[in-house]
Amino acid sequence: MDEVVKLQLIGLTVVGLGIVILLFIRAQFARVVGFVAIVLGLFSLVALSVPQMASLPPAEEKFDIATVKTPTDLAAIGQKIFFSKGQCALCHSIGPSESARCPDLKGIGAKLSREFIFESLTQPQAYIYLDYRHEGPPKEYPARMPYINKNPIGLTKNEILSVIAFLQQMSGEPISVSPSELEVPGQAPSAPVKAGDSGPVAVAQAR
Amino acid sequence: MRHQGGQLQQMLRTLRGHGGWLSVWLLAAGWLALPSLGIAAEGAPAGPVEYRDIPGIGSRNIVWVIAQLHLLLAGFVLGVPIFAWVCEIVGWKSGEKRYDKLAKEFTKLLTSSYATTALFGGILLFLLIGFYPKLMNYLTDIFFPSFVFYCILFLLETATLYLYWYGWDAMQDGGKKTFHLFLGFLLNLFAFFIMIVPNSWATFQASPVVIAEGTDLARAWAATWNPTWWPVNIHRLIANVVLGGFMCGAYAGIRYLAAETSEERDHYDWMGYVGNFIGVFGMLPLPFAGYWLMREIYQYNQQMGITLMGGFLSWLFILQAMLIGVLFLGANYYFWMGITYRIPGSEMSYRKPIMAMLIILLVCLGVWMTPHSLVASLEEARKMGGTHHPLLGVFGVMSAKMTVANLMILVTFMSFIMYWRAGKQETATWAKVARAFMSGVLGVAAIVVIVLGVWGYFVPAIVRINYFSTSQVLIVLFVMLTITPLTAVLLKSAKTTTEMVWGRMPPRAGYALVLNAVMVILLMTLMGYARSSSRVHWHVYGVMRDSSQYAFSPALGYAAAFMALNTFLFCMLVAFIFWVATMGDKGKATGYGGGEKGKLPHGVPAMAGGSPPRGNEQ
Repeated sequence: MDEVVKLQLIGLTVVGLGIVILLFIRAQFARVVGFVAIVLGLFSLVALSVPQMASLPPAEEKFDIATVKTPTDLAAIGQKIFFSKGQCALCHSIGPSESARCPDLKGIGAKLSREFIFESLTQPQAYIYLDYRHEGPPKEYPARMPYINKNPIGLTKNEILSVIAFLQQMSGEPISVSPSELEVPGQAPSAPVKAGDSGPVAVAQAR
Repeated sequence: MRHQGGQLQQMLRTLRGHGGWLSVWLLAAGWLALPSLGIAAEGAPAGPVEYRDIPGIGSRNIVWVIAQLHLLLAGFVLGVPIFAWVCEIVGWKSGEKRYDKLAKEFTKLLTSSYATTALFGGILLFLLIGFYPKLMNYLTDIFFPSFVFYCILFLLETATLYLYWYGWDAMQDGGKKTFHLFLGFLLNLFAFFIMIVPNSWATFQASPVVIAEGTDLARAWAATWNPTWWPVNIHRLIANVVLGGFMCGAYAGIRYLAAETSEERDHYDWMGYVGNFIGVFGMLPLPFAGYWLMREIYQYNQQMGITLMGGFLSWLFILQAMLIGVLFLGANYYFWMGITYRIPGSEMSYRKPIMAMLIILLVCLGVWMTPHSLVASLEEARKMGGTHHPLLGVFGVMSAKMTVANLMILVTFMSFIMYWRAGKQETATWAKVARAFMSGVLGVAAIVVIVLGVWGYFVPAIVRINYFSTSQVLIVLFVMLTITPLTAVLLKSAKTTTEMVWGRMPPRAGYALVLNAVMVILLMTLMGYARSSSRVHWHVYGVMRDSSQYAFSPALGYAAAFMALNTFLFCMLVAFIFWVATMGDKGKATGYGGGEKGKLPHGVPAMAGGSPPRGNEQ
């Protein structure tokens, strides 16, 4: 039997027991217990009738460099990370959304350079913390883009590069991230992905 | 045994896909049933033990139950001293012994629960050390100085409570009474610190801060002062008063139902009124404290905020809305019954306002519990044009909910004012002007709250969060802080047209008081689950990952079953404690019978509504 059904039966039994007590028992305290049982049983039944979502810890995915042959393979891994370990979909949407609290990422791979995206993920305080939409000096948002390369998300550089590849592919852009850029464990790291030399303002002009 | 977290989680995912949560739990039970020592003996790697488990119920669930019972008891024993002490002060200032006796009765309930609270705290500590050594080692390393401080606080609190309770009758008059009141103040002071010290441990888990190198004291202090510490302190301080008030009200409600003499009925009717009043008094500012806490969570970490309100915990807040709505309805209903039954002849004049307030409360509750995304089939979603209903979807966002929450607070406040003024005729020359002013303030406030709520849909989130929502709160606070003293002054010179009659409330009044208490307890279990689950698979968010087999958060239905179980266990535990504590009361006069009936105390606005008739005072 499904666990939800089982719990619903228990809830119904508790409510039924409460009703029986109220109908047939005269002792005051017992009647109060019956009343409380009805309330608690109804509460459980209501809770069981809403969508049941558990929260599982993210699967420990191993980034297997050997399986990444083409940029498209990289983008496929990036898509998985976007919707799981990266937790990007928790805040961002791809396409218009009434409930998303953060920018719509549809077409972002075409609007922004890969360097700017990398900077936004690893140094959000450099530019995107600041609200440039209004007149006057930029103001800080009350809620902030987290550091994606630090805990609690803690994506590795390879994972970030694959997310960038996904964003570019999703936007219809050619993927500029190459599998040769991936860091192999035990080997010297490849050349770092640099943000624009002239800093965030120059990168922002790419928008 | 180290743990088998990874293997079990993989199996959980696989089985969940086959729709079998029950089979998942059977499998988990199967794992748990294996003797842990046996597994350890089979060659687990050497090293410090990170987790232990218990077969059957599981370590996480047993900690859940014990922690919840401890927190509920703690909320009660920390909330009651606040209003017991205030009640004693009222008795001392007014010279009315009945308030002193009521304060003593509250303290009796508190004292009898105190040892059980400490007992469950001790059990919880043993369980945490036993089942979660990895986490406890980490927290001890950071917070050890606060553990020492906590132990000292308990010694001080216990000594003060003994003196306060056992010295009550001996310290009745003059300087001794002043000293007794001072003891009450100390009791509350130590209780406050006893609450905020463990709050720092729990809030550090949710919103940890970077701890630089330094002395043990400096590190503990840095960890204590984390972003959600003070919002939780304030929220829990107010919530403890609400819990204590409604639980005392429920106690009085049950005693009222079982009362055999008119003296008992009068006394417990009055006690029920006071308990409900205290609960409502605390309930009015509580949503504001909750809003502040939620804001700090969002400020600290947007993902945690979205997990709570937009992610897998979002439906929990719909349940919360339902419980709060029932609580508001129950508290108001009790006020309305009080007007109808305690002030004979007043029911006709208040029928229309009561009906209007009931409709407003029901509409507000409906809006508050409307979810943003509906559970819809593909066909239904296509017809709606998405998962959001074109009309109801509008009510699923914070702007609507902040508005209706503020309106419900205003309505509840007006129920209290109505009750306070019922059966009285103002004689002040400026009474008409004052009444017009108060009506104007209330009307304008309600309109402004609604306007800000509607306007909030059309402004950026930052404007709504920083300015509109806070303005709504400030307006409601302004209304309460303006109308309350004005009413108090008006009623000081008012003449009583209808004497208040106690002991005439129907049995459903007692059940309403019990319902309110159960709602508050359920809310505490619900929000405790929310707080724990917001950390998802982290012991300390972003710092120490939960690598045990219980790193998942169960679905709401399963969690609600545990909440209901915890609530029931707590109610039975408290019923037992109160029964034992009051065993000797049967047959004793409560001291409130006979004599002059219906004489109301003067100038005691905080206990508006008077008290039972004077009688044979002990």
